[in-house]
Amino acid sequence: MQYDATVTNKKTRTVLTGLLFLLAVPILLAVGVFILHDRSYYLISLLLIICSMIPFVWLFERRKPQARELVVLATLIALAVAGRAAFFMLPQVKPVIAIVILAAVCLGAESGFLVGAMTGFVSNFFFGQGPWTPWQMFCFGLIGYLAGVLVQSGWLPAKKIPLCIFGGLATFLIYGGIMDPAAVLVAQGYLSWQTVLVAYGAGVWFNLIHAVSTVVFLFLFYGPLTQKLERVKNKYGLLDG
Amino acid sequence: MKDAFSTYHPLVNFIYFAVVILFSMFLMHPVFLCISFASAFLYSLRLNGKRALKFNLLFLVPFLLVMALLNPLFNHQGVTILFYASSGNPITLEAVLYGFAAALMFVSVICWFSCYNAVMTSDKFLYLFGRVIPALSLVFSMVLRFVPRFKAQICVITRAQACMGRDLHSGNLWQRMKNGVQILSIMVTWALEHSIETATSMKSRGYGLPGRTVFSIFYPEKRDRIFLLLFFALSVFILAGFACGIVFVRYYPALGFTGFAPVPVIFYIGYLALCLLPLIIDLVEEHQWKRFVSIT
Repeated sequence: MQYDATVTNKKTRTVLTGLLFLLAVPILLAVGVFILHDRSYYLISLLLIICSMIPFVWLFERRKPQARELVVLATLIALAVAGRAAFFMLPQVKPVIAIVILAAVCLGAESGFLVGAMTGFVSNFFFGQGPWTPWQMFCFGLIGYLAGVLVQSGWLPAKKIPLCIFGGLATFLIYGGIMDPAAVLVAQGYLSWQTVLVAYGAGVWFNLIHAVSTVVFLFLFYGPLTQKLERVKNKYGLLDG
Repeated sequence: MKDAFSTYHPLVNFIYFAVVILFSMFLMHPVFLCISFASAFLYSLRLNGKRALKFNLLFLVPFLLVMALLNPLFNHQGVTILFYASSGNPITLEAVLYGFAAALMFVSVICWFSCYNAVMTSDKFLYLFGRVIPALSLVFSMVLRFVPRFKAQICVITRAQACMGRDLHSGNLWQRMKNGVQILSIMVTWALEHSIETATSMKSRGYGLPGRTVFSIFYPEKRDRIFLLLFFALSVFILAGFACGIVFVRYYPALGFTGFAPVPVIFYIGYLALCLLPLIIDLVEEHQWKRFVSIT
């Protein structure tokens, strides 16, 4: 029964995502080009990001998750938020992505996305919300979702070293790769090749520190955290699939 | 003293900030930008006091200057060439002005967000979204509770470990790191175990059963309706001004915007009123309170 639920969920998500991408995205782009005269890049990209997150939220709400599932997710998110707060003084040293990836590996892609996106959102209640919040939510969520999908489909072995490599690459390429142009977009209102390159150039050390710290956290926490999550999963039988 | 606008209904707070932040982002008219920035600056001073002043002066003003000077280096549109850079690219007046406008936009958005953070506390956010996304809102409220709880628990664990000589200050670096990881590991076990306990408790108290109601302490009042009405009227008025081309701005190829003719000035005043609404409410409230105190 649990299996059926996840399968229909996946199907619905595929359909919903397809609809959103085939309908909503072109409509949004058309509105941006024709009504807003191709000027409001920030608004359009913000709406696109929100569109991409709706299927996850909607499906999660629709299947009326159990209390256990909610509390375990909340615990992981709180650990990630507290971890970010603990290393607050060191710039870019954040255990968030490591925890998100491990959550995705143990609890599945959907949980990975939710842990990531919610961590981005809630941690900014402690550090201050800003125009960067949706982008952070999206990046963390995307990395969690990717990790879950890759592990489930067997492309990425759920072992320590491959996950460390994936974590480092994902942090550098996905998080850095999206957040740097997003910062330019927020500050300047438009993007050009030169400004994006300058942002990458200025951000390369920050992204490197972030990536290295993610690898170190993954290396240290892979054993303990997966073991504990698997134990809770087996003992109480939750969040399979 | 608590800010008066914060005591309005959360929906009013949220709509106000959403619209004002969007307006600040997209109305690139210089006068509008200045109005938005000045209002956000004043309101953040009112809300956060000296802390806001320090932050605004130390962080926002230097940022404003740097961003304004960066734009012309990458953007060579515009007809008024000031001089040629050493690379041979023209530095144009329009690019400098646009860079300044974009920086002013960014700074005022940050300023508005600092006000938003002070007014839209997490309980209000939870109230607003608790009905739309109940499960995730519950997760959200649990996380807000867990974070301080975990911090307290980690102190307990650290002290207990220190009794056994396994604290963060003894041994060589490797030993210390091992102790640190050990503390975190204990923490995670405790947190997961505790979360299952919470879930069991929730279930036995009837979480997820049909027919349960939501508690809230927010009720819409007459002043909320009046505020929203006024606010929507002003927003529509300003948007109409832009849509009809009464107020406009163009940076490239040459700068052009509506100046201080009588008709556009009406729109400027409208926008000023919109941006200053919370501050006006707060000042009026304070005045009334003081008068009330002096009478009795």
